[in-house]
Amino acid sequence: MKTPLRSAALTALLFACSALAQQPSPPAGEMKEPTQRMGAPMQPGAAPGAGEVREPAILAPFERSALAAASAYPILRVPVSPIHPGNVFISPNITNPLQEDPQAVARGMTNFIHFNCVGCHAPNGGGGMGPSLSNRVTIYGASDGQLFLSIYQGRPNGMPAWGGVLPETVIWELVAYVRRIMHGTENTFGRTTSASPQQPNIQQVPAEFLQTSNPWAFTEAFTAGKAPSGR
Amino acid sequence: MRPVPFALASLALSSSFVLAEDLNKLSQDPKQWVMAARDYANTRFSPLDEINVSNVGRMQVAWEFSTGIARGQEAAPLVVDGVMYVISPFPNKVFALDATTGELKWSYTPATDRGAQGEACCDVVSRGVAYDNGRIFLVTLDNHVVALDAKTGDEQWHTQTGDINLGETTTMAPLAVKGKVFVGVSGGELGVRGRITALDESSGKIAYVAYGTGPDQDVRIGADFKPFYDFMKGKDLGVSTWPPDAWKIGGATMWGWFSYDPELNLLYYGTGNPGPWNANQRPGDNLWSSADFARNPDDGMAKWAYQFNPHDLWDHDEINENVLVDLDIGGKTRKVLIHPGRNGYMYVIDRATGEVLSADAYDTVNAYLGVNLKTGRIIPNEELTPELDRNVLNVCPASPGAKDWQPSAWSPRTKLLYVPHQHICMNFKASDVGYIAGTPFVGATVDMFAGPGGYRGEFMAWDPVQRKKIWSIQEKLPVWSGALVTAGDVVFYGTMDRWFKAADAKTGKVLWQFRAGSGFIGQPVAYEGNDGQEYVAILSGVGGWPGVVANYEVDARVRNAALGFAGATQDLPWSTNGGAELIVFRVPKETAQRSPHDTQGRAPVPARAAPPPNPPGGPSPQPGR
Repeated sequence: MKTPLRSAALTALLFACSALAQQPSPPAGEMKEPTQRMGAPMQPGAAPGAGEVREPAILAPFERSALAAASAYPILRVPVSPIHPGNVFISPNITNPLQEDPQAVARGMTNFIHFNCVGCHAPNGGGGMGPSLSNRVTIYGASDGQLFLSIYQGRPNGMPAWGGVLPETVIWELVAYVRRIMHGTENTFGRTTSASPQQPNIQQVPAEFLQTSNPWAFTEAFTAGKAPSGR
Repeated sequence: MRPVPFALASLALSSSFVLAEDLNKLSQDPKQWVMAARDYANTRFSPLDEINVSNVGRMQVAWEFSTGIARGQEAAPLVVDGVMYVISPFPNKVFALDATTGELKWSYTPATDRGAQGEACCDVVSRGVAYDNGRIFLVTLDNHVVALDAKTGDEQWHTQTGDINLGETTTMAPLAVKGKVFVGVSGGELGVRGRITALDESSGKIAYVAYGTGPDQDVRIGADFKPFYDFMKGKDLGVSTWPPDAWKIGGATMWGWFSYDPELNLLYYGTGNPGPWNANQRPGDNLWSSADFARNPDDGMAKWAYQFNPHDLWDHDEINENVLVDLDIGGKTRKVLIHPGRNGYMYVIDRATGEVLSADAYDTVNAYLGVNLKTGRIIPNEELTPELDRNVLNVCPASPGAKDWQPSAWSPRTKLLYVPHQHICMNFKASDVGYIAGTPFVGATVDMFAGPGGYRGEFMAWDPVQRKKIWSIQEKLPVWSGALVTAGDVVFYGTMDRWFKAADAKTGKVLWQFRAGSGFIGQPVAYEGNDGQEYVAILSGVGGWPGVVANYEVDARVRNAALGFAGATQDLPWSTNGGAELIVFRVPKETAQRSPHDTQGRAPVPARAAPPPNPPGGPSPQPGR
């Protein structure tokens, strides 16, 4: 029982995965059209890239169609879970086609405000109604593909599903911005909180004084509930 | 004029009057605590005096219970005939416990939609359940009103009163009046059109809805409506005081407190802020936001209204409680309501007519220059007008006001109102915002911080006749718990840094304090157990708008987080984490041995309930600073 299951399912997944690795990332400048899909949709007949990937031997009709759909949209194969049964890592290497283009990051900040992300996640992603985006802690993953899907599909504890509303380019701009504001200064695994010595001991220059897509570049001493210095 | 409806209305009135009498009467029984505010007048005064100024120092834990959900615990436990009913934050589980022993009798878990958590502005709290006629009424965060058999916990009916896809959630404690259960709706930060809904207690059928904005018909304004001041007179002001169609997404929600005067047959409540916070997008008075309504509960028709904050600039909701008392003012006994305003003014209002008798600042106020008692209009400080994209510095009080939802208590013995509140100011920058259903509709960058003097909270005793503060206790953090006062002349409140305190109601001297597992934002209650002893109960578990920085993934280094409240409570994680503990206290009888429910090997608590480590010398300043 074990062997056929492995060969059918895993081969199918590997097939899609390796094919995805061939996807070129279009230059940022070519992503102006909001209707364009991220990357080019893979054609079902596209040649597999890695030598060990084989066409699955036997697939039921249903599996064939599901495979075809997932192949056309490889991002659907990006897992939300960090656990991979059998220790087989199947995540396609989806990267933001806009990469870290500063203009895309700036547009992402504008989108973050215009689409009211800022209402839940707060200016600079401090969090409130929704979780903070200002540190490396995420619930549903911090890779480009995972962030894209969290925005596109929404998440059941209150994150709206924006895929029906926002063009994919807009979502990728948001991903670029969120990746930027997540990038803090800390390099420890965890974080310590204490009154004495004071930790945290810095805070961002608040957004009423400074609107920036790189808020961690502008910090001041932590004021512990007192007014900020603001500059 | 309309003889038939009138006859029907009076028939309905007389048949349901018995029910109202019952709950009203039940609420007068010293043993009970049958509604969140204890009585229809919202006094939170318990006539019990076994625990008093002379023995409260010996108060100890009797038993505890965990709601299991470590988010903000704002609910008031109810106690009816020896059974306690308590509701958790989302998903709003309800527990029935033996109020004397803590034995769990039943629990109820609703199928509340998880998505509601992302639509609630300020933590996923519930402020309590309602009771009447053998039923417990709860409202879930995703707007389902449910009736349970109080004895068994069996569900009797459920009715949906709001839609999370429109940003609607419900956090307030419902109230039963004359055979109807009344609920509001939250979402002033999400472009919700505010309203109250009256449901038939036995069937769950919606009797009527009364909106906070829109045409008079929707607001249930008719010929009987007699506002005291001219600016609220006219047709369809809930439409004409807004830009076209803005009233449809204009807020005026209701997430606070109902009170009820059976003699006048008037139901009172305040409405929330207008939306969005950016006032530049909604020129006009924005009626009926930030206002009090007095309504006939039978049909919902408004008798009068009073708008505290026309064209609110600062998110100054006025959902705060209206405490119904009779006061001797100018040699006459006046039926008034006391409304400790979010805007920082303590209002005394004639509750029959809506006339403002006095309005005095009780905290630092620079956002307004006073209240004109002739016109009824508050006077905004024009130097601080938040024009688009202007960073207005140091506005007091901040958006949560000088006082938010946290309810005060009134003692008929001291004739003082005990008011838990905050002392914070803010920077405020308005910006344009577009409406997208189900997402925040705010348009403001807010950054709050401690007010003058550096403290952020205060617990005070206010004399509404002398119109002044009698005593006060300054606290390091906002005082976000409710208040309780008893005939033992002890007043109770909790702090966000985990202290539950008992003070002398006359002097403000702290007599006892207890350090709990998590900060307090709950509502203390007092009742008598089946063993004849007095108990005091409160939920521990920090949260709410100022507390998400300690119970949720909110970054204390980003001051504008949590709609700007993170700035004022960014050090809260230094003293507390989330929690979920119901704690019940009593003063052990001098001769008492260990009671049956204290035999789990736990030492009989004196260690935990020791006298204050730093006994306070006077009302202020305060231990725990």
